[in-house]
Amino acid sequence: MTDLLHDPFVQSSLLPLLLGVAAVGLLRLAGGQSGRSLAPAGIALAFLLIFALVVGVPAFPPPSSMGKLFWSAAGGLVLGASLDLAGVKGRAASLAVAGWLALALGWIAGPALDSVAAALPLAVLLAVGAWVAFADSAASEDRPAASAAVLLALSLSVGVTALIGSSASLAQLGLALTAATGGFLLWNWPTERHLWGASGRIALGLPVLLAAILALYTQVQAATLLLALPALAAGPLRRRLPIPDTGFGPALGTVAVTVLAVLPALVAIGASWLLTGGEASPY
Amino acid sequence: MKKILSAAVLFASLTTAPAFAAPVAYKIDPGHLSVAFIVNHLGFANLIGRFNTAAGELSFDKAAVETSSLSVSIDAASIDTNHAKRDEHLRSPDFFNTKEFPKLTFKSTKIEKTGEATGTLTGDLTMLGVTKPVVLNVTFNKDGVSAASKLETAGFSARGTIKRSDFGMKYGVPNIGDEIQILIEAEAVKS
Repeated sequence: MTDLLHDPFVQSSLLPLLLGVAAVGLLRLAGGQSGRSLAPAGIALAFLLIFALVVGVPAFPPPSSMGKLFWSAAGGLVLGASLDLAGVKGRAASLAVAGWLALALGWIAGPALDSVAAALPLAVLLAVGAWVAFADSAASEDRPAASAAVLLALSLSVGVTALIGSSASLAQLGLALTAATGGFLLWNWPTERHLWGASGRIALGLPVLLAAILALYTQVQAATLLLALPALAAGPLRRRLPIPDTGFGPALGTVAVTVLAVLPALVAIGASWLLTGGEASPY
Repeated sequence: MKKILSAAVLFASLTTAPAFAAPVAYKIDPGHLSVAFIVNHLGFANLIGRFNTAAGELSFDKAAVETSSLSVSIDAASIDTNHAKRDEHLRSPDFFNTKEFPKLTFKSTKIEKTGEATGTLTGDLTMLGVTKPVVLNVTFNKDGVSAASKLETAGFSARGTIKRSDFGMKYGVPNIGDEIQILIEAEAVKS
């Protein structure tokens, strides 16, 4: 059993998937009336549990960017859950999520900001963060599958790009986030049962933070991740899809929007593979 | 009066005597410095790696080794395990996180003699922004004028073990060993 828990493949796939399913379900139940909004917090919770298993619980205050990622995610989880439990929605929730993401990005990127060139990736990440905080909130809250599909696609592209670029722990965390999101999507297929509130948008900020470490502290060709950004359009696209107005329609819509979101992620992964020659680290 | 003068001369000679026995400044010769490590890989074998760039200073007093001191700075990105892709991984945040923490430093805090040519060197190792005390077993090999460089040279070997998780480097434990053996071979040249 211990060997299984220490298997990187299990840590990046089956375990976070099960944790995601369990955490989403438990938070849905424990949240009472706010349970539907609180459920996506299970994704961040599963992410943190896998982080603790793969990297360990970092010291506080954390000396490294990885430690800052953990504590930023933990802070985000508490913030998102608090906002959802308090019933905070709309612009106020968006501002809170944006503030959290900007602070976390600044905290993580701080030591790397020694030149104008280093500030450029941060500017791009802040712009993506703003989209996550504000534009995603424009998506219908009761259509969480589209936003979860975006999260799945972004975390997949970050995870595999990190794997290609020899950053194994970031790869495992990115893939674990993908699997945990898969757990959330399972709860919302064929029927969308939950809401995508502040907790959901906090989860959507996690691949942005992972990408920040990849871009600023590794030799990974993180610029290829820009190719995955069209996945952000999955939400608006979902509303325009000619989905049949039948009981089967929403289930088909979720599958379609997930495929559409994952396509740009695959393009980003392919570009990263081509740029690095595809040689993997022997670890 | 004569007695007072004699006492003064004696006092002066006593107080100035340590100046002659004071530690002498040496610089670590980067061309004859090897900083290597051994780590267990999945229980199958031990992998040997090294850091190719390091610098250091030694203040050495052969007569009173306890008063000597050493400081070393290692370029973390110079890690070399004879595999470019693995070295890239070792430079990543999984291990040495070299963009964020470009240097590993060691500063001695205590030196104790344990034998004719052996001793323990205690110092603060800073890695990944974490400073922890480490103890190295040191063997003093030789000092004198080097036949090659014609410079006053002192040579040492040091061995020790650290737990990388103590410094926050927890990735891959226990598959990739937590205990790291450190091997240092150094020659220092009188400044």
